[in-house]
Amino acid sequence: MAAIIETQDLTKTFGDTTAVDHVTLSIAAGELFGLLGPNGSGKTTMNKLLTGQIRPDAGTVRVMGLDVPADPVRVRAGIGIIPEQETPPSFLTAEEYLHFVGRVRGITAIDEQAEKWFDILEFRDKRQVLCKDLSRGTRQKLMVAQAFLHEPPLAFIDEPLINLDPIMQRTVKDFLSEYVAGGGTVFFSTHILGIAEEICTSFAILHNGVVLHHGTIDELVTGDRHLEGFFLERVRGHAHA
Amino acid sequence: MRDLFVAMVKEEWRIHATMAGNLGFGLFPVMIAAFSFMGAWILPLFLEIVPASLLAFIVHAMFALMGVMVGSFGIMGREFMNRRFGQASLIAYSSRSLPLSERTIFATFVAKDVLFYLFLWVIPAVAGIAAAAPFIGMEPAFPLLLLVTFSLSFLEGLAVVFFLSTLYARSPRIAGAILAAGAVAVALASLAGIGPAMLLPPYAFLLAPGILPLAASLALIGIPAAVSIAWATIEYPDAARRYPNSFDGLSDRLSLFSRPWLTAKDALDLRRSEGGIAKIIFSFLMPLGLVWVFLSVLFRFIPGLSPLIVFAVLLGVISSTTYNWLTEFDTFSAYAFLPVDVRTVITGKLQSYGVINLVSLAVLILAAAAAGDAGAVVPAVLAFLSVSAYSLAVTVRLTGLYPSVMLYQVRVFLLYLAAISPALLVLIFVSILDPWYAAGSVVLLPAAWFLLDRAMLRWTAFDMPSY
Ligand SMILES: Nc1ncnc2c1ncn2[C@@H]1O[C@H](COP(=O)(O)OP(=O)(O)OP(=O)(O)O)[C@@H](O)[C@H]1O
Ligand SMILES: [Mg+2]
Repeated sequence: MAAIIETQDLTKTFGDTTAVDHVTLSIAAGELFGLLGPNGSGKTTMNKLLTGQIRPDAGTVRVMGLDVPADPVRVRAGIGIIPEQETPPSFLTAEEYLHFVGRVRGITAIDEQAEKWFDILEFRDKRQVLCKDLSRGTRQKLMVAQAFLHEPPLAFIDEPLINLDPIMQRTVKDFLSEYVAGGGTVFFSTHILGIAEEICTSFAILHNGVVLHHGTIDELVTGDRHLEGFFLERVRGHAHA
Repeated sequence: MRDLFVAMVKEEWRIHATMAGNLGFGLFPVMIAAFSFMGAWILPLFLEIVPASLLAFIVHAMFALMGVMVGSFGIMGREFMNRRFGQASLIAYSSRSLPLSERTIFATFVAKDVLFYLFLWVIPAVAGIAAAAPFIGMEPAFPLLLLVTFSLSFLEGLAVVFFLSTLYARSPRIAGAILAAGAVAVALASLAGIGPAMLLPPYAFLLAPGILPLAASLALIGIPAAVSIAWATIEYPDAARRYPNSFDGLSDRLSLFSRPWLTAKDALDLRRSEGGIAKIIFSFLMPLGLVWVFLSVLFRFIPGLSPLIVFAVLLGVISSTTYNWLTEFDTFSAYAFLPVDVRTVITGKLQSYGVINLVSLAVLILAAAAAGDAGAVVPAVLAFLSVSAYSLAVTVRLTGLYPSVMLYQVRVFLLYLAAISPALLVLIFVSILDPWYAAGSVVLLPAAWFLLDRAMLRWTAFDMPSY
């Protein structure tokens, strides 16, 4: 299938750190793609570059055929994003926040969409609570819901499972797999290799802003070969090189 | 606790230095000193028109007013820990895990803020005067006395408002009653011919240094401050607050705006946050009331000026500072992952600003009624609207979505003054000739439009910092 995300020599520096270093990557539609890397390897920076939240210093980036730095708002209108850090605004309730995002995105059937997510992620009882009074996990659920409200064909999600309990992690993982089976594409950043191995179809390893490997999970994980061993070997090899 | 204090000071410094650069921010007090040096330099000229005691009173009243504008710590509640920059990443927040009571953290936070203002404004102002002292024949020891009286004036304004806001957080009614009683007492005092020196003991201390005014000053600062620290409402019941959806109804009612959802969100932020509505009272309406009293007194000395016009002009500038709070509820990072750009968020803030300006307009109409100056109402309203729009446009052009941080950058602050003060001076000056000339201020409207347009372009192209 055609590439839905394409970068060419994508580079971003902050002062003297090169967070993303000449990354050339092409991801086909329909993948559940995992971007794996240790802390500080540049995953969040990649996410922000691909979604037009920051501008690259060099290189090109196209998402769904659009030049991202040229028209970031149009790109973001077409995709869903779960940011790594951000939480919903303190003084709206959970329900109000979903309606807020619905209005920003111009969703007409916002009521049904919001109801659907209260059910999937089981937080209907919290919908009238101010976001600042929600538990971290519930705020995270809300961020998951806001990203998929408009049923986007492509979603960028940065460590979305970290604050969720095992049951909710299962729910979200199942949702993502179904979503991809239904034609969606997911760009998933994580350093939790088990999750990647379980649900991703393809992956890349990022270290110090450089892509060390790009391939499918199936070709790698065979018998007792696992992602973890491969990941450690690659990252350590690169660190010593 | 000392470590906590030092850490908070460092944090405050870094927040500013991140935006302004170490040098840009470090030069801020130097710039204030330079201004005060120039002011002191031309002091002999001023003294030909205005009696020295009046001038001294004005300056002390200004420092007290500054204290009033920044002193409403009592309504911050728990938010002092995380509201400043929209995120819970400040030390005050993370120190909840230290073995310190929330009250200790709060007291440290207040002390840090007070110190911040003293070092940034009061001390540099005195330093400038001290530097000019030899040239204007001022006794070399006099600036030392000023350092004491300026600081005390600032602290008096701050302590009184700290106390009122603390009371307000407990019971708005009692706070209102005390405020009203205070206003009546002041009015009676002035009828009885008791001078302003009684209200501002630091000023009385300047006129006649002695134990009594000093003790009165210290009492007026120490007692309210101590009571406030002890009483401030910091602990709130931890129950989750629930509300039925009022966002949609509000957005629908605001549908004449192009981005009603942003303004609806700002309105809910203002209404539901602990300091929200109270902030309008303490940081906006109260200073305005003081300005009005101050102008009415002052204008007995300068005939020909219409206090209403001057008030309208100042009201415009002061209104534009409410943009600072509107931008403190959130940072752009709360929108960065949605299909909106900086232009859209700024547009939303401008809409909210328009709504807040209705309050200012109401204040102006009240002032007009109080002044009984019917002839000046129309030019005053026009002057207010134009100045408000223009000062806001200058603020947005220079600081984008970060006014409270960016204005401490020397270059930005100078540009701000250079863009705003000439317009104000000309406006006030021509209004002396005829109040109707103030209506000419509408020429500021196209300027405001142009600046806003440039501002949107500039800040949309700017990579937002994240903290
Ligand atoms: N705004 C910024 N200013 C300065 N440096 C930054 C900024 N954002 C990221 N960096 C630096 O870029 C590098 C990559 O950071 P990034 O957040 O992309 O890593 P990450 O892979 O997401 O890490 P983690 O797994 O911890 O989330 C780090 O060295 C980080 O310090
Ligand atoms: Mg990250």
